[in-house]
Amino acid sequence: MSVQALPRTTSLPAIRFSRGLAAKIGVILLAIILLTLFNSVEMGVSWGLGMTFGFILQRSRLCFASAFRDMFLMREGRNMKAILAGIAVATAGFALLMQKAVPDPAAGAFPDQAHVVPTGLYLVVGGVLFGIGMVVAGGCVSGSMYRVGEGYVASGVALLGGLAGLEAAAHTWNFWFRFNISTSPIVWLPNSLGYGGALLLTGVLLLAAYLGVTWWESGRPPMIAFKKKAEDEPVTFQANVARSYRRIFVKGWPMLAGAVALGGLNVLAFTYEHPLGVTGELATWADRGAKLMSLGAPKLLGVDRLAGCNLALDASASWLNHNFALDSGVIFGAFVAAVLASEFKIRLAPHPRRYVQSLGGGVLMGYGAGLAVGCTVGAFFSAIPSLGLNGWVFGLSLLAGSFAGVKIIQRIA
Amino acid sequence: MLDVRGEICPYPMMKAVEALKKLQPDQDTLEVLTDHAPALTTIPWEAAKMGFEADIDKVGSPEWRITLHRSTAPRDPQAVMARLQEKLTGVEA
Repeated sequence: MSVQALPRTTSLPAIRFSRGLAAKIGVILLAIILLTLFNSVEMGVSWGLGMTFGFILQRSRLCFASAFRDMFLMREGRNMKAILAGIAVATAGFALLMQKAVPDPAAGAFPDQAHVVPTGLYLVVGGVLFGIGMVVAGGCVSGSMYRVGEGYVASGVALLGGLAGLEAAAHTWNFWFRFNISTSPIVWLPNSLGYGGALLLTGVLLLAAYLGVTWWESGRPPMIAFKKKAEDEPVTFQANVARSYRRIFVKGWPMLAGAVALGGLNVLAFTYEHPLGVTGELATWADRGAKLMSLGAPKLLGVDRLAGCNLALDASASWLNHNFALDSGVIFGAFVAAVLASEFKIRLAPHPRRYVQSLGGGVLMGYGAGLAVGCTVGAFFSAIPSLGLNGWVFGLSLLAGSFAGVKIIQRIA
Repeated sequence: MLDVRGEICPYPMMKAVEALKKLQPDQDTLEVLTDHAPALTTIPWEAAKMGFEADIDKVGSPEWRITLHRSTAPRDPQAVMARLQEKLTGVEA
């Protein structure tokens, strides 16, 4: 029996010109033009990392807020399990990178770019406030950023609230630093356990978390992601290119694919400079705005000793720095992804009260992120792979805050 | 027709569930209009638990109409989602 060979052509699928297509070509050109405006490699790399970050979030609809919220609202853990998988990917990569930077962890040092901060009450307070805020606002910081890229106006309002909250955190930072942060211990697991022990413990904890989520949602069969029925069309080069294009740029990705890609991206970001985080730069934006109104924050104690998304509020740095490129890249990457999938639309909230809700949630979220030195990304998704105890404490606090947040949103129709 | 355009998670799902609960015994279908892609998974899933089957049509860019109708089949959300998958072949979900 012989296998019938399909005709092999090298021509690409027929493309019809339309307004939608013009918009798609336009955003790609715009992305390239903006890239050329950055005058350093560091800016360009950060812009690329940020764009990829936003693109992944938009395509996979990966949302940290819903991962925590749906555990209580629907007893649904699909998002959370995907995120745990992404954390596991990043953990392996981070451990290799940190081992290069600090070959002998028993000496007491820890890698200065890893997201390791003191473990104390302030993390719990910040995590709970952030958890409530992200559920009420309908998205965490990175989630709101990618929804701004999709055209959601209320998410922009949530970000503005976040900026106000970050500035409020900066104004109360010195109190918290004296009261709790300066006296809390830094617990970096490899210091006492070595890299092997720290990896083993993190792996066991991630597995326990995964099983815990599965136990929590059991009794409810897992939600099925939509899959297209297998197509019967011939597998020509044209059809393959078209199908790959649609899979990547038009159809939503499985959430697990998005989370694992984000874990990999985090390793790339750390390889280049530091793990992913978005709120440190937002805090700088907030303080620049506050200074214009003569409401700038005072000199903050000890922030230079903290890694990650600290409230460095580095006013001396040019606003056009690499973190600016990263943060704006997230929004722009999501915008590009949304336009390519024909999912971009300026969307107004159906009720004015949604804006109030987004603003209030955003303020809580911003304050929590400012206090806890990061958001769901910097203080959780990048912190657990950094092998610090702080990531776990912040994560559990987010869970507690989300529980309270769900009680609140169930009362706001 | 329940219009939840502009709403983001979890409100499209919560409002659809609320509307399904208020549906009179002689009403068999509820149409939900949404522009929020994640709702295409959450609404049919929650509706299935209440005994409804779902159909999804893409009616705009991006806008979808989810039609939920009472089903006499046993309440098996996984089976409902599997049937929806089969029907979704032409839908950009």
